[in-house]
Amino acid sequence: MMTERRMAPRLPTGPAAAAVVAAGLGLMALGLSQVGAEASESFKAWLQAVGNAWMPGAGGIGPYSGKETVALVVWCGTWAGLHFAWRRREVSVTVAGVAALILIGLATTLVWPPVTEWLAHR
Amino acid sequence: MELRPEPGAEPTRALWIAVAVLGLVGAAFIAVTAPLDRLLGTGAEAVRSAVHGLAAGVLMVTATIGVFQAYRMFLGRAGGLGEVQAGSVVNAIAAVVTVVSGNWLYIPYRSAAGPRQYFLQVNPDVHKVFFEFKEFAALFVVPLSVTAAYLLVRYGEDLARRRGLSTVVALLLVLVFFYFAVAFGLGAAITKLRSV
Repeated sequence: MMTERRMAPRLPTGPAAAAVVAAGLGLMALGLSQVGAEASESFKAWLQAVGNAWMPGAGGIGPYSGKETVALVVWCGTWAGLHFAWRRREVSVTVAGVAALILIGLATTLVWPPVTEWLAHR
Repeated sequence: MELRPEPGAEPTRALWIAVAVLGLVGAAFIAVTAPLDRLLGTGAEAVRSAVHGLAAGVLMVTATIGVFQAYRMFLGRAGGLGEVQAGSVVNAIAAVVTVVSGNWLYIPYRSAAGPRQYFLQVNPDVHKVFFEFKEFAALFVVPLSVTAAYLLVRYGEDLARRRGLSTVVALLLVLVFFYFAVAFGLGAAITKLRSV
């Protein structure tokens, strides 16, 4: 007797798209916080305070601790929010991937020091 | 219902136990006879340098395997799913450990007598361009590798049926390797110029 192999039901693509877009947004936040820190001493001090608030040894690594924190919060926060919003929906992963690629490309450009400096001192 | 071990299961288990016991005996022998306290060097930052280097070394292996798996995935010829999933999880954990230990090592780098001050006096561009970019490129690896691992674990066999999704995962694994290679290459070069 032949047995029929059942395929598992397809999961919605919303959570996948949420994860991919959130990664791009988190990295974009990192890029923007780097430019902001170079442009404004008060923003740099705020980043330092944010890092000091929770990260062990934050004083030793300066405002970098705050930039990491901002990126982490935006990444995890948008992931959770988008996941909740799209958890049962079919969302194009290809479009999400292209959006994330653009964000990652922009973030890379923003953290390239000559560009950071040029933007910060305009 | 009677549970019977698969044929051949017992010898395999015995073999693994023998390997584990021999490994432990070997490790104990080395621990007793080798000057392990000298292995990491005598510098104040020897331990954190070793942890960061070891984590980055593991990440180099897993990120490289990830690129190979990405290529196969892109062609639609991915290997065993469990193997790819396990590799991606190890990749993500290694990325997190490398970044956290990098933070730990960044403290002596920025100290008054650290390499940062040296570079700012002797060759500021090394710090202002290469190190600054390296420290951010390294951070990119964490969300990219975690997202790749999440998609592989959550969607599993579904990936084979979804071309767009498997292409995005392949792309993430390639990006992990790219940003890792940038950070690793610049880190190695800077360490060669002036270590902590």
